[in-house]
Formats: sequence, structure tokens, C-alpha cells
Amino acid sequence: MSARRNPFFEFDPSKARGPRGGPDVGKDVTAEVAAAAGADGRAPLTVSALVGRIKDALAAEFPRRVAVVGELSNFKRHSSGHWYFRLKDAGASLDAVMFRSSAERVKFDPSDGLEVVAEGRVDVYDVRGQLQLYVERMTPKGAGALELAFRQLREKLQREGLFDPSAKRPIPQFPRAIGVVTSPTGAAVRDIRRTLRRRWPAATVYLMPSPVQGEGAAAQIAEAVRLLDAAAERLGIDTILVARGGGSLEDLWAFNEEAVARAVHAAATPIVSGVGHEVDTTICDLVADVRAATPTAAAELAVPDQAAVREMLSAAAGRLSRRVRQGVEAGRAALAGLCRSVVFRDPSARLRVQMQRVDELSHRMRGGLVGRVARGRRRLGPCESRLALLHPARLAERAAAAVDRLAGRLIWALGGRSKRAGDTLSRLAGRLLAGHPRGRLRLLRQQVESAGRQLEAMSYRSVLRRGFSVTRRAGGELVRSAEDVAVGDAVQTELADGSFRSRVEGPADGPPATRPTGKRKQRKQRKRPPDPGLTLFD
Amino acid sequence: MAEEKKLTFEEALEKLESIVSAIEEGKVPLEESIAKYAEGIQLVKQCRAILDDAEKKIQLLAKGEGGELTPAGELDEPEQ
Repeated sequence: MSARRNPFFEFDPSKARGPRGGPDVGKDVTAEVAAAAGADGRAPLTVSALVGRIKDALAAEFPRRVAVVGELSNFKRHSSGHWYFRLKDAGASLDAVMFRSSAERVKFDPSDGLEVVAEGRVDVYDVRGQLQLYVERMTPKGAGALELAFRQLREKLQREGLFDPSAKRPIPQFPRAIGVVTSPTGAAVRDIRRTLRRRWPAATVYLMPSPVQGEGAAAQIAEAVRLLDAAAERLGIDTILVARGGGSLEDLWAFNEEAVARAVHAAATPIVSGVGHEVDTTICDLVADVRAATPTAAAELAVPDQAAVREMLSAAAGRLSRRVRQGVEAGRAALAGLCRSVVFRDPSARLRVQMQRVDELSHRMRGGLVGRVARGRRRLGPCESRLALLHPARLAERAAAAVDRLAGRLIWALGGRSKRAGDTLSRLAGRLLAGHPRGRLRLLRQQVESAGRQLEAMSYRSVLRRGFSVTRRAGGELVRSAEDVAVGDAVQTELADGSFRSRVEGPADGPPATRPTGKRKQRKQRKRPPDPGLTLFD
Repeated sequence: MAEEKKLTFEEALEKLESIVSAIEEGKVPLEESIAKYAEGIQLVKQCRAILDDAEKKIQLLAKGEGGELTPAGELDEPEQ
């Protein structure tokens, strides 16, 4: 108690009561003073004596502490920790001092203008003869000190942004390890354990024990938060719970202290705070990343419900199975549909259809051929018989018969009337006989030969188109060998698009030479076997 | 497999969700979806195993010699 060292603060009621209770004390002084006294015949008092008597009088008037209501002004915090200020109201003011030991216990933050109730003793500061209130307790007027302190700290931290939503870190959805700061013996740890075990037993729970009320609790809670946060990575802690069960405002006060607020705010690990009952809100709650009404609620917010998660897992597994089964079923159905198609049901059907078609076509083709042959034969039959009638021998016979008949009739008719007529008749008969049937036969032969030539020409035209040529003698005989022509012979060369005439000069591999005419050669040539070149025209 | 064991619950669940939604969207060919189905069911099992592998005790922490927190036993159970 540093205040005890201040001599002016020492206030011994027995001593104070001395001058009044014991007249012998200070008697000498009084006499001396009385000797020096003025008009009233009493000796003057020393300053000390006067102040002393004033102090005595005050002590007599205010034997115990008094409580004074007033507004703070001139409030000064000395570096020594003492506070100096004035209390005033509309009509008066009073100096006051609050020594460090008392000031330290004030929860709120006093400042000018604040109306307070100050409790203390009235005394005189001897050195200055100054009346002072030696304040031992100070509370805000109206609200309680704690309420005010809470409000003040809240405003201050709010200004600093400690409650900003943007400063909140998200808590993991499925925590692996949870660090808990609370008392190891309180109801909170029991509630938290029960809740975590029920909801999310997969998480490891670490308890960092700390007192949660009383002197120094705030500092220890703050330290516990700092230590847990520092060890979080090593221990795998991804969520921290700061909790305390219900209690009075005073009981919960540690969680309203700046030290706790700073530690919670500084932690890198997300923190869930659950302090007091539902109605209580602490600064710790406000700074924490997630604020819960109670320790149980904090545990509930920190972890998911395993029942719900298991349900979700089952649902996911069900959805997976259903979907894949559906996919397989759809595939199976599609496959079955394809298998039902004709192609797979009867793979040879198509082939059979084709075969049938081939059969049909071949049948038709055969039928057509046979029909045509039959038709041809049918047409050929009459032609044959007609042709037989037209045979030159028959024609000649018939002509001769007709001539004979006519001649007979003529002879019979004329009756050999005239020799000249008979001569004419025989001449006519001769012409008839010489000209008619045989002449017709010759004509037919010529026609056949001409047609044959045409046929021949047609058959080799295609070869000519390939660049070959045909050379004939002037008589039209084919030149098949170099020996077929002689120097000076005229030849005609036929090409695909026309022909020209030329004269033989001599063999291509020798000088031009005179050779005999080709008549004999031709005869000779007829006797020769056919030239292999003929194959071109086959 | 050893690598799969290291999956956290969250990672396993995320993977499971992506598999389920991929299959549900029908973007995966049937053959692949069957393989993914097997993987998904494996993940479900893994998630359940994590849940079943429950910690029964609360570890008490205390400051060790180096000032570091270390588990210093288990919290006594006042009930049961």
C-alpha cells in the first residue's frame, strides 16, 4: 500500500481525536500561542496547529468515508499511477486524489465530464492546507462501473476494427483438433466434452486449463490463447474454443478485459467464444471469429453433427449407386434394343435376301436367254424353209421349168409358124437360161463378198484407231509381206481416219530396185500359210 | 492407397462430392462412371472410418520445458 507511505494520507482516528479527547495534548502549544495572541487575549496559532485543528475538526465531522457525487474535471493520470482530479457540481468543486493502489482497481476509464460517485475520506493536505478528497473507490454514476468499462472497451476496440466482420476468419467445416481454453473443473468443459463427443468425435480435443475468474484470470486466459495458437500447427489444432459457464458480470469479467480481447484478435487460429449464458455478451465474444451464446453452443458451432454428415454420406453413396445403376441399365436397355434389331437377331437374313435376289436375277437371265433362243429358233425355222426355196439350184430349176413351160406354150401357140419367131424364141430362151438363175446367183455371191469385206473392215477399224495401218495392193489385196509388192507398185494405205495412195520405192533397208510385177507374187502368196499378223484382225 | 489414407475428412468429402456431381451431370462415360463409383464408395467408407475412429478423451495440455505446449495426460471424467 503505497498510500500508506504518504504521511498526509495516514489517518489515525485515535490521533485525530487526540486534541479534542485529550486536552493535555498540544497544551503547551496553545499556551505559547495564547501568549502571542492579539486583541482577544489568545495567543496566535502556528499554521501547523491551525491546520492540525482543522484536520481534527474534519475528522470529527467525517469520521468515516463519505460518498460524493460529482463530475470529473481536470483529470490527470500521473506517471506514478496516481490520479489527480477535481469533483465538481454546479456550485462547488473539490480537489481529489486517487492513489495507484485504488486506481488500479477501477475497471472503467475515468475522464473529464464523467459523473461519478467517489468514496473516500476528506482531509487536508498539510503542505498546502488544501482540502482534498482521498478517493478509495470510484464508480460511474448511474450505470455500474463494469457496464461502463464494458461500453468503453467495446467502443475503443470497435474503433480499432477488432469486431469488423472482415477480420473474422472462417472456422473449418470439419475440424481435426480443437483446443479449448477454460477451467478444467467448470461446467463448461463438461458441456463442451459432451457436445463434441456427441456431434464430432473424430476431432481430437486439447484442453488448455486456465482460471476463468478472479484476479489475474484475464492475463492467464490471454496467455492460454496465445500458447494454443502458437502450438496449433504442431498439434494440428484448427479451431480454438474459449469458454466459460454462466455467472455474474463480475464472474465473467475476465472475458471483458482488453488482454483477452487482444490475444483472441491476434490468434491466427479461428476462435469460437462461448462465455456465460445466452444473455451475456462479452468483449471476448465480440472479438472472436464465431460468437456463441454458451459453451455448449460454442461446441455445436465448432463442429458439424456427425449424424447429419453420416446421413449425407449415405445419401451420396445412394445417389452414386442409383446413378451408376441407371447408367448401366440404360446401357443394357440400349444394347438389348440393338440386339433386337434384325441385323443381330438374324445376321444371315440380309445375306439370304441378297442370295435370293441373285437367284432371281440369274433365273430371269436364264429365262430370257432361253426365251430369246427359242424366239430366235422360231424365227429361224420359216427363214430356213424360205431360204431353201430360194436356193439357187431350186431357182434355176424353177426358172428352167418355167422357161420350158413358156417355150412349150409358145411352140404350141405359134405352132412353129415362123422360123424367125422360133429363132427369136430360142434366143430369148437362151438369154433367160444364161441370165436369170445363174446371174442371180452371181449377184448374191458378189453381195456376200462385199458384206464380208465390210465385216472385215469393221473388225480391224478398232485396231487402226490404235495407230496401225493396213496397206493394200492396187487390186485391193492385203499386203501381208514385203514380198507382196514390187518396186513401182501402187499401194493404198488405210488409216483410222482415211487413206492415201503411194508407190513402192524399194525395201526400207536397201536401195530402190526393180522387181517383177506382183501377179505371180500374188499367186505365190496365196499358197503361203497365214501370216501371224492376222491375229490382229481376229 | 497409402496416399488416399492421408486425405482429411474435408478433402475426402470434397472428392466424393465432385465424383457424385460429375456422375449426376452425366458427363462421365459409363465405363468411367463405374470406376468412379468404386472410388466414391471407397471415399464414403473412408469418411465413415474417420468418424468411427473417435477420440474418447480430452488431452490436457501443459507447458513443457521449452515453454511449448505438450499433452500431459487426459482429463478425468467426472461422470459415468
